[in-house]
Amino acid sequence: MKVVELRNVYKIYRTEYYEVRALDGISMDVEDGEFVVIMGPSGSGKSTLLNLIGCLDKPSEGEVLINGVETSNLNDNQLTELRRDTIGFIFQTYNLILTLTALENVELPMIFRGLGREEREERAKELLRSVGLEKEMNRKPNEMSGGQQQRVAIARALANNPKILLCDEPTGNLDTKSGEQVMEIIRHQNEELGVTVILVTHDPSLAKYADRVIRLRDGKIESVEHVS
Amino acid sequence: MFLELAKRNLQRAKVRSLLAVVGILIGVMAVSAIGIFGESLKAAVAQNFEEVANELIVSPNFQEGYKYLEEKDINRIKKLPNVAEAIAIKSDSLLIETKKKKSYTVVYAMDEKDVEEMFEAEKGSIRLKSSCVVGKRLAEFAEIRVNSKITIGGREFRVAAILEDTGARFDINPNSAVILSPEDFEKVSDVGYTLLIVKADSLEKVDDVKNEIEEKINSRDEKVVVFDLKIILEGIDEAFSQINIFLMAIASVSLLVAGVSILNIMLMSTIERTKEIGIMRAIGAYRSTILKIFLMEALILGLIGSGIGSVLSVVGGYLIDLAILQDASYVFQLSTLLYITLGFCVGVFVSVVSGLYPAWKASRLEPIEALRYE
Ligand SMILES: Nc1ncnc2c1ncn2[C@@H]1O[C@H](COP(=O)(O)OP(=O)(O)OP(=O)(O)O)[C@@H](O)[C@H]1O
Ligand SMILES: [Mg+2]
Repeated sequence: MKVVELRNVYKIYRTEYYEVRALDGISMDVEDGEFVVIMGPSGSGKSTLLNLIGCLDKPSEGEVLINGVETSNLNDNQLTELRRDTIGFIFQTYNLILTLTALENVELPMIFRGLGREEREERAKELLRSVGLEKEMNRKPNEMSGGQQQRVAIARALANNPKILLCDEPTGNLDTKSGEQVMEIIRHQNEELGVTVILVTHDPSLAKYADRVIRLRDGKIESVEHVS
Repeated sequence: MFLELAKRNLQRAKVRSLLAVVGILIGVMAVSAIGIFGESLKAAVAQNFEEVANELIVSPNFQEGYKYLEEKDINRIKKLPNVAEAIAIKSDSLLIETKKKKSYTVVYAMDEKDVEEMFEAEKGSIRLKSSCVVGKRLAEFAEIRVNSKITIGGREFRVAAILEDTGARFDINPNSAVILSPEDFEKVSDVGYTLLIVKADSLEKVDDVKNEIEEKINSRDEKVVVFDLKIILEGIDEAFSQINIFLMAIASVSLLVAGVSILNIMLMSTIERTKEIGIMRAIGAYRSTILKIFLMEALILGLIGSGIGSVLSVVGGYLIDLAILQDASYVFQLSTLLYITLGFCVGVFVSVVSGLYPAWKASRLEPIEALRYE
C-alpha cells in the first residue's frame, strides 16, 4: 500500500524580481513501512518536499496524496487532524516549546487529540523512557543537550502513534554519538513497529538505514537508488 | 493545560504582563470608585430629603378663589387609607413687637405635639400653653431670648423656646416665624387653615394618597393643590445619575487605554511567539486552539487586573468619600456592589475584546510561514 503519493508536484516561489522552482515536477510514491532517505545539495528542495508531504504547505501545482487521500480536498481542520494523528515531525532545530517541560512537550500532541490527563501522562513517560530520558522528564528544553532535546522531539513525534515519520536533518545539529542514538530510535520505529520513515539528510553515512535513497537537484529527482 | 500554557507565557514576560494588569486595574478602579463615589454623593443628598419624601402638601387653590382649606375636607383627608398623619396649619402675617423691634412676621398655628415632632428646640423647651416658640433667624434679628415677652397682634406671649435652624424645607419653614397653639392663634387672627401636611404610610403609597385626595376633594371643583415631595427625591436621583454617567464616561477612557495596552502587549506576544504557534500547528493544534490559548491569556490578564482593581476601588471609593463627603459609611450600600461588579465585568470584557484581534491574527498564521519565522 502506498502511504504517500506525489503526482507531478511543483512548488514555485515568485517575487517581483525572480522565480524559484523549489520543486519542479516531482512524482514519487512511498510504500507503507518503507525507509526513504532524501539527499541533495543545499537548496535542492528537500525541505520543501518534506513540508508538502507533511501538509504544512501546499503545492503550486500537482497532487499530494496521504493514505490515498488527495490533500488539496481537505480543509484546514482536516489537514490539522492528519498532521496530528498520522504524521510525526522531527526537525533539525528540535522545535520544542521552551516554556514547557520535556514531559509536557510530549503530552502536547495528545492534548490536541483530546486524551485524558492520566492516559497522556503515562504514555508520555513511557515514550520518554523509551528514548532514554526518564531522568530528564521535568527539565525544560534549554536545560538539556541537543541530543536530549532531539530525543524529546522524537518522543513528541511518536505521541499519537503516527503512521509516517518525517525527519528533516534530525542529526544535523548533533555530534556523532548523539546522532547515532537518534538514528537508532528512528530505525527501531521503522523496523519493529512498521512506521514509514522519510528522512532528509546531507550525511551520506545515513544511507545505510534506507530501503531507498532519492537524490534531488534543482527541484527535480536526479536518481533513485534501492538498497537491499 | 492550556491554562498552564497561558500562565507560563504570561510569566515569561513578567514586566509586560504586570503593566497590562496595572493598566486594567487602574481602569477598573477609576470606573468603580467613581461610580461608588457618585452613588455616595446621591445617597448623602437624598438622605436630607428622605424624612420628608413621604409627605404631601395640600394647599388651597388660590387660582380658583379658595383662600383656606375647609375643615371637613381636612377631616376627610385624615381618614383616607394609607394616611399616617395629617397636620393642619394656619398661618397669618401679624405685627410682632419686642422692646426694640416691630415688624410683620409669619405666625403659624400648630399643635404642641406636632411642633415637637417636626422641630427641635435649640434653647428652652417647646411649650405652647399661652406661650410661643420662635424661629432662630427671627430670634437673632429681633434679639429675642427664651422667656422674653413679645407682643403678637396686640397680645403678649412668653417665648418658651428658640428653634434650631431647620435648613431648607419644602413644607413650612419656621426660621423666620413664630408658632402659637391653635387656641392662642384664634385670639389674634381669624384666618382658616392654609396648609395641610399629609404623611403617607410609606414612599410607595404617596401616589395612591395623592390620587385619593384629588378624587375625593377635587371631584367637583379644583379646591386644593397637592404637591408631593417625592418629586424632589426623584429629581435628585435623576440629576445625580446623569452626573454619575458623565463621570464614569470619563473614567472609561482609562479603561480604553488599558484595552489598547493589552492589544499592544498581545500583538507583541503574537509576533514573538510566531514560531511556537507554527510548532503547535505542525503537531496538531487547530486554528481555534491557538485562538483559545491567546484569548485565555487576555482573560487571565483581565481577571487579575479587574479582580485587584475591584478590591482597590472599594478602598478608593472609601477614601474619596472620606475626603469629599467626610463620611465613608455610604460605601457600604448595595449600589457599591453593583459598581464593583460592573467595573469587574467591563474590565474583563475590555481585556478579552482587546485580545481578540491578536488571537485571531495568531490563529490565521500559516503553519509553514510560522515555523520558518526566527
Ligand atoms: N519561502 C520561500 N520563499 C522563497 N524561496 C524559498 C522559500 N522557501 C524555500 N525557497 C527556495 O526554494 C529552494 C528550496 O529550498 P529548500 O529549503 O527546500 O532547500 P533544502 O534542500 O531543504 O536546502 P537545505 O539543505 O539547505 O536545507 C531554495 O532555492 C530556497 O531558496
Ligand atoms: Mg532544508
